[in-house]
Amino acid sequence: MISKADIEKLAELSRLKLDESEIAGLEKDFSAILEYVGQVSAVTVDGSREAAPQLHNVMRDDVAVQNAPGNARESLLEAFPRREGDYDVVRQIIEK
Amino acid sequence: MDDLARLSITEASKKLASGEISSLDLVRACKKNIDARNGDLNAYLEVFDDLEEQAKEADARRARGESHPLLGIPLAIKDNILIQGRRVSAASKMLENYTASYDATVIKKLKEAGAVFMGRTNLDEFAMGGSTENSAFGPTRNPHDEARVAGGSSGGSASAVAAGMALGALGTDTGGSIREPASFCGIVGLKPTYGAVSRHGLIAMGSSLDQAGPMVRTLEDAQLLFDTIRGRDLFDSTSIDLTPSTSDLTPKKIGVPRHLLQKGGDEDVLRSFNASLDALKARGAEIVDIELPSAPLALAVYYIIMPAESSTNLARFDGVRYGLSLSGDSLVDDYAKTRAAGFGPEVRRRIMLGTYVLSAGYYDAYYGKATAARAKLREEYNDVLARVDVIATPTVPSPAFKIGEKSDPLSMYLADIFTVTANLTGHPALSVPIAPVARDEKDLPVGIQFTAAHGGESMLFAVGKMVQ
Repeated sequence: MISKADIEKLAELSRLKLDESEIAGLEKDFSAILEYVGQVSAVTVDGSREAAPQLHNVMRDDVAVQNAPGNARESLLEAFPRREGDYDVVRQIIEK
Repeated sequence: MDDLARLSITEASKKLASGEISSLDLVRACKKNIDARNGDLNAYLEVFDDLEEQAKEADARRARGESHPLLGIPLAIKDNILIQGRRVSAASKMLENYTASYDATVIKKLKEAGAVFMGRTNLDEFAMGGSTENSAFGPTRNPHDEARVAGGSSGGSASAVAAGMALGALGTDTGGSIREPASFCGIVGLKPTYGAVSRHGLIAMGSSLDQAGPMVRTLEDAQLLFDTIRGRDLFDSTSIDLTPSTSDLTPKKIGVPRHLLQKGGDEDVLRSFNASLDALKARGAEIVDIELPSAPLALAVYYIIMPAESSTNLARFDGVRYGLSLSGDSLVDDYAKTRAAGFGPEVRRRIMLGTYVLSAGYYDAYYGKATAARAKLREEYNDVLARVDVIATPTVPSPAFKIGEKSDPLSMYLADIFTVTANLTGHPALSVPIAPVARDEKDLPVGIQFTAAHGGESMLFAVGKMVQ
């Protein structure tokens, strides 16, 4: 139903580095889970039911709102794994 | 009562108002139980070190004339709800050392009311699970039998309330995560109408399913806590204002989907459930059979929609802006290493599953079908709830299971069979304790679940009071 190669591809798409034993375990789990959730294939989709209800835009006034008291900006900066001054240090994306 | 920590919030509130006790007394009573049992139960991941200061501040506010019923009441907070300046881990290595930079709206409201926060309670990592065994920091145990799970994902909150380590708690519920642990630990748990309570500041799992709600000892307490935290919020565009809850409704008609109860459930749980239906009948309610033709599909639908939304929400954990951050050979390798080390096995499994059902070749077969079935389910529930006041089922088909008993993921998922529907349809649902069942010479709690129409929390409190 689902192959080792499928699991490896999914891990890559999910940005997860998995070891061999976990890949084998997931192969087994996925077969059982997909068989169970596959029951939904019996559902007939008729157009009237496709739209989710109550989907509408919710707008607010375009004004600045101070949400957190104190220095929220500083606390966000503090959470950076690698901080230099007020900058978040990230890896160079385009390599030579 | 000797142990002040065993009072209901409403009772404690009266004693606080009359000056019979102080918030400091309540907090010390809870702390005593924490010191005695938290080492075994692992309900709290962290007990805050400023409890006495918080209590004294509440007592000072009362002395200045404030009188909110939650002023000075010790509450436990599930560790996926942000409290500014405090750590919030979602029971994950990913956020082990993360500090919240703002208050969740529910926390802001509780602070205004003057509640005391006892600590952060354990959960399944990122709220993914039904037993709190998926916590990166060890399982929470059930106070009624420590060999058994407390349920999940809000297992720490349920265990804390049941063991007298707080008077009430906040949990979150994506597929039963308030109601299932409430049922296993013998307390009251409410999953409000979708949108009734702001999700701002909750660590997101399934955004179209998540709701925060009360985990408490009485229906009055549930109503009080719900009324305090609910309401439309600028920071959650899905939040709505409902009409204020009332307490003078009389449930007349209770619908029971017998066709869902026929197979697989525990016999003793079913007996307890039927006995409480008889009691409701004796109190004047009419019990009628109802049909929910799409309900047998609900769990399959849920285990498509929830991982799809979870995998999307958890994509933000990339080690760049906050949380765990590991370096690999390349940018992509940084992500993959960080996420593999930060997320536990169940979280990884659900991210993979969500990625699968959303991928190009399978989207229509899984996510598309699940969305259609969800709409159908909502229609069926709305139709039935136009004819009956509430729908009743057991909250969970069995009492609390043993730690380690459910080793394969699918058998664990099946415990959610009665609870996931309310999240899919957005209806409010409540679990109330009923007659316990005996296992290994211990009485294990059981819950009855009621589901009402959108905005029908008042009806739930009314029917709950008829049971309790």
